[in-house]
Amino acid sequence: MKSIPGQVAISAVGLMIVLGASLAAFAQTPSASPAKTVNQILSVRGKYFDDLVPLPKKHYIPECCFCHKPPFSFNDWRLKPVRPPGEVREIDFEGLKKILQRDPKDTRPLLVNFWATWCDPCREEFPDLVKLDAEYTAKRLNFVAVSLDDISDIKTAVPRFLKEMKATMPVVLLNVNDPEPAIHAVDEKWDGQLPATFLYDKDGRVVFKYFGRIKPEELRSAIDKQVGSKQ
Amino acid sequence: MKKNYALPLFLASILIVAFAAVAGSGRNGSDLPAPPAIGTTLDDFKLPDADGAEHSLKLLAGKNGAVIIFVATKCPVSNAYNDRMEKLAQDYKAKGINVIGINSNNTEPAPEVKSHAGEKHLTFTILKDDGNKIADRLGATKTPEVYVTDANLKLVYHGRIDNSQKIEGITSNDLREALDEMLAGKPISKTGGAAFGCTIKRVS
Repeated sequence: MKSIPGQVAISAVGLMIVLGASLAAFAQTPSASPAKTVNQILSVRGKYFDDLVPLPKKHYIPECCFCHKPPFSFNDWRLKPVRPPGEVREIDFEGLKKILQRDPKDTRPLLVNFWATWCDPCREEFPDLVKLDAEYTAKRLNFVAVSLDDISDIKTAVPRFLKEMKATMPVVLLNVNDPEPAIHAVDEKWDGQLPATFLYDKDGRVVFKYFGRIKPEELRSAIDKQVGSKQ
Repeated sequence: MKKNYALPLFLASILIVAFAAVAGSGRNGSDLPAPPAIGTTLDDFKLPDADGAEHSLKLLAGKNGAVIIFVATKCPVSNAYNDRMEKLAQDYKAKGINVIGINSNNTEPAPEVKSHAGEKHLTFTILKDDGNKIADRLGATKTPEVYVTDANLKLVYHGRIDNSQKIEGITSNDLREALDEMLAGKPISKTGGAAFGCTIKRVS
């Protein structure tokens, strides 16, 4: 009975320390407003994907990582687009160039995978890419899958495959008559074989490329280097 | 003290430079050698056709040259070119240039190559490259992919058939133009054209 006030006092002191530490972490956060971060992400993504901005807010859910790595920072808050699997947008060569041109404000690494439903190794590696997309959204990886399927497949084979894969990353279908300018714009060494995967750093430099079916661990390691370097 | 730091700093800088070089370098899925440069004379090689009969490149080539096309049975891009490849073979056979198909996909065995050629009415010789040795030697990565040699097996063209999988979209007939230039004794004006295609399924 005698020790109860002492336990209460210790608990109160402990609680104050925890609260103090949390407030200090909050105060040191440079951009302490989740809403601001949300708007920043929307504006950055909107430069590349016109279809992202008009999405109603219910299509976005907040995602937070502090549960996994206390003490938390509000920088860990972000928006995860929850798009129905199967959404595909048609782009032309100019659209591809827009994707590849990095906005200086966008500090996320950019991962671009070129694929097609008719390409066996592309289909085989896609589950790994879906996993990577799910894994890295929290780390702000900008991932775009560029389909080289025929435009006639944009409402059939492509969305059907994406739904089957439960893929929710942004997917565009490149519709060009002559693929050569697009291929050379991506990489001078690329001859058009599929699949092809390119990782760009925040300055738009290719830091990893792979022709053929990716090795997930190699790609993950390359992404980690980019994601880790900005934290 | 300076002397003590010199060696570790030197080693660290070497490591950083080496790391940057590795991180910045490209990777090819198969770590293939580069294709032979235009102007290189190809070594003759022998491969069996789908019936097992051996052929050499030198004997299959026409008196004015050869068109080697890496083909596939299942690749929709290669299949989109079946009629065009057959027409090309017919058109240029009379001009002394023979079309030779090579199937290097380890997922497409010889009987499948034979039945596919029959179904698609492909009359030019299609060789089966088991173990993708010739694809490796030529640095071929996809189907369809074209190499053209002159009568002396000198490589004069490497690239695509044309710019569009759809016949109605063709605006640049790269291969035919190259063949016509070769026959006219002119230098090939365009080689190395890129197009999307299916990766050759190599043995692992």
